[in-house]
Amino acid sequence: MASPASIVKLPSRGVPAAQVEEPPSQGGGSYQPFLPYWAVLENDFFQVLYSWVFRLWVLVMVAAGTGFLLYRVGVYKVTGVVQHASHFLADLTQWTVLVSVALVAVLAASSIAGERGSLADSVLSRGISRFQYYLGKWHGRLLSVLATHLALGLVGLTAAKMFLHEDIHLVGGLAALGISAAMLAVVVSLGVMVSAMIVNSFAAIAVLWVLLYGGGMLLSSLPVGTPSPDWALQQLPYVLKGQFHLEVLHRVVGWSLGISIGSAFIGMTYFSRRDM
Amino acid sequence: MAETASEDLVVETTQLTKIYQNRQIALNDVTLKLERGCVLGLLGSNGAGKTTLLRLVIGLHHPTAGSVKVFGRPMGANTADLRRRIGYIPTNPRFPRGMTPITYLDYMAKLFGLTRNVRKPRLASLIRAVDLLGASASPISTFSSGMTARLAVATSLINDPDLLIWDEPTHGLDPEARRSMLDLIKNLSKQKTLIVSSHNLGDIDEVCNHAAVLSNGHLIYSGPLQDLKGRMRRNHYELDFEGEQKTIARALQAIKTIGEVKYTSLQHRRLTVQLQDDAVAAPVLAQVLAAVHEAKVGLVGVRSVGQQTEEAYLDLVEKEEQRGFTRIYRQAA
Repeated sequence: MASPASIVKLPSRGVPAAQVEEPPSQGGGSYQPFLPYWAVLENDFFQVLYSWVFRLWVLVMVAAGTGFLLYRVGVYKVTGVVQHASHFLADLTQWTVLVSVALVAVLAASSIAGERGSLADSVLSRGISRFQYYLGKWHGRLLSVLATHLALGLVGLTAAKMFLHEDIHLVGGLAALGISAAMLAVVVSLGVMVSAMIVNSFAAIAVLWVLLYGGGMLLSSLPVGTPSPDWALQQLPYVLKGQFHLEVLHRVVGWSLGISIGSAFIGMTYFSRRDM
Repeated sequence: MAETASEDLVVETTQLTKIYQNRQIALNDVTLKLERGCVLGLLGSNGAGKTTLLRLVIGLHHPTAGSVKVFGRPMGANTADLRRRIGYIPTNPRFPRGMTPITYLDYMAKLFGLTRNVRKPRLASLIRAVDLLGASASPISTFSSGMTARLAVATSLINDPDLLIWDEPTHGLDPEARRSMLDLIKNLSKQKTLIVSSHNLGDIDEVCNHAAVLSNGHLIYSGPLQDLKGRMRRNHYELDFEGEQKTIARALQAIKTIGEVKYTSLQHRRLTVQLQDDAVAAPVLAQVLAAVHEAKVGLVGVRSVGQQTEEAYLDLVEKEEQRGFTRIYRQAA
C-alpha cells in the first residue's frame, strides 16, 4: 500500500506540490505503547513552564524569599538579635505554601478543563486512551510543580545556611522539603481531578479553592495530632532542626500519597466515562 | 450495505442513541453499516446529528443507548488501539498555541505511539506533500484557514489510517483549496474507507459512492448514492436557449403540443420541461429538440435536474417531515 504522503498532492496557489518520495518502510516495532503517555506528559510539562501562572508563582516565591531573608539579615545587623535559619525557613514555608496553594491550584485546575472542546478533540481522537491522557496530565503537572518547589526550596535552604545562624539539620531540611512537597502534590492531584470533572476552567478553580481552604479549615478543627495541613506546617521548625520522628514524616507522606492516588483514581474513572 | 458479515464492516452502529443530559436528543436509533472501501457522505442540516455521530464513532462520546463497532470491535473512550487505525479531522480544527507544523505533527505522531524512525520521515513527507514546507518553522497561530486545513489533512494521515473521518473538510476553504481537497478525497478513496460530512451536496455528489442522511437525529436514508438519486422523480429537464424571446416563445408553443410533455415553464431563456412519469425520455426529448430546431432557437445546454443529489436530499427530508406522526413506524427502504 502506498504511504499517505505519496497520495497527498495538495496544491497551494494553483501550483501542484512536488511528487513526494516514499518514506522508509516501517517494518516491525514501529509502535511504543507508552509513547502517547510520555508525549502528553512532556507537552504538559513545557506548557506549564511557559504559562503566566507558573511564572507568577516562581516570581512570588523568589521575591518573598529574598525579601524575607533580607529583612531577617537586616534585623540581625541592626539589632544584633540572633536569627535562626530554622525559624526563617518555617515562617517562609508557611506563608509561601498558603500563597502557592492558590496559584498551584490555578495551574492544576486548568490542566484538563482548559483543553476541553476542539483542542481536546485533536488529542483524544488519536491513539491515546483517556487513562493515559489523564496520567500524562497529572504527572506533567506534578513534575513541573514539585521540581520547581524542590529547586526553590534547596536554594532557600542554602541561602539560610549561608546568611543566618544555622541551626538546620541537613536531613531535617530535606524532610521539611518532603513534607511541603507532599502537601503540594495533594493540591495538584485534587486540582487535576476537579479539572477532569468540571468543564469550565474558572468553575474548576473556584471549586478547588473552596475544597482546599475549606477542607484545610475543617481538618485544623480536628483533635490535636490528626494530620492536617496546619499541623504539618506547625511541625516544620522542629523538623528543620532534625527534631522529628520518622513516623510523623511517614504519616504526612502516607496521607498525601493516599489522597493523591485516591483522587487520581476517582478523576480518571470519571474522566474515562464522560463525553468530550 | 446491509448484507455483510460483521467482521467485514469498518463501522457498524446498532440502534445508536445519544441524549445530552436528558435535555437534547441528538441522535435517535441510528443503525448504519459501512463496508471496507466505501466513501460515505454524511448529509444533514445544522443540528441534524452529523458531528455527534462522528464523535460517537471515534469514541469521544459515549452512547446513551445502542452500540458502535469499528473494525468489528466495540469503540470506547479507552480503545486507543482502534483509534490508531482512524484519521480524524474535526469541523474547525484547533491547534495548540506556539507549536509549529513540525512540533505539532511530531506530537500527534507520538500520540499514535509511532517511533522516531517512523514518525520523523513521515511527518517530513507529509509537510512537503501538503505544501507547508515554507511555513514549517512558523507558529500555527499565524496560519490562514487554508493552511490549517492542509495541516489537519496531514495530521489525519500521520498514522497511515485505514478509516478516515473528516467532518466538513471543505468548510471555510476557497474554491481552489476546496478543489484540491476533493481531488485528495478521490485519491484516498482508492485505498481507504472514508466518512465525509458536508453541507455542500455538490462535494458529496462528486466524491462519495454512499450516502447517509440525518434529519433531526434520525437516519432517514443510508445506501448507495445512486439509489438516493433514483428516488427522485425522473423526466425533469432544463434547456438553456439563446436568441430572441419571440422565437423562444414559438418553440415553447410547439413543445407544449407534444403529448408526453406534462409541464413547461419559461423563465427568461431557461425552459423547464417535465415529462409524463411513464414517458420514455429519449424519443420525447428528440421531439422537443426537433421543435427547438424548427423554431430556429439557439440551444446552449440541456440537463437533467431530477438526478441531482441536492434535489434528492431535499425531497427526502421534505417527505420525512410530511410523514408527521407516522414517523413512529419505520419506513421501508
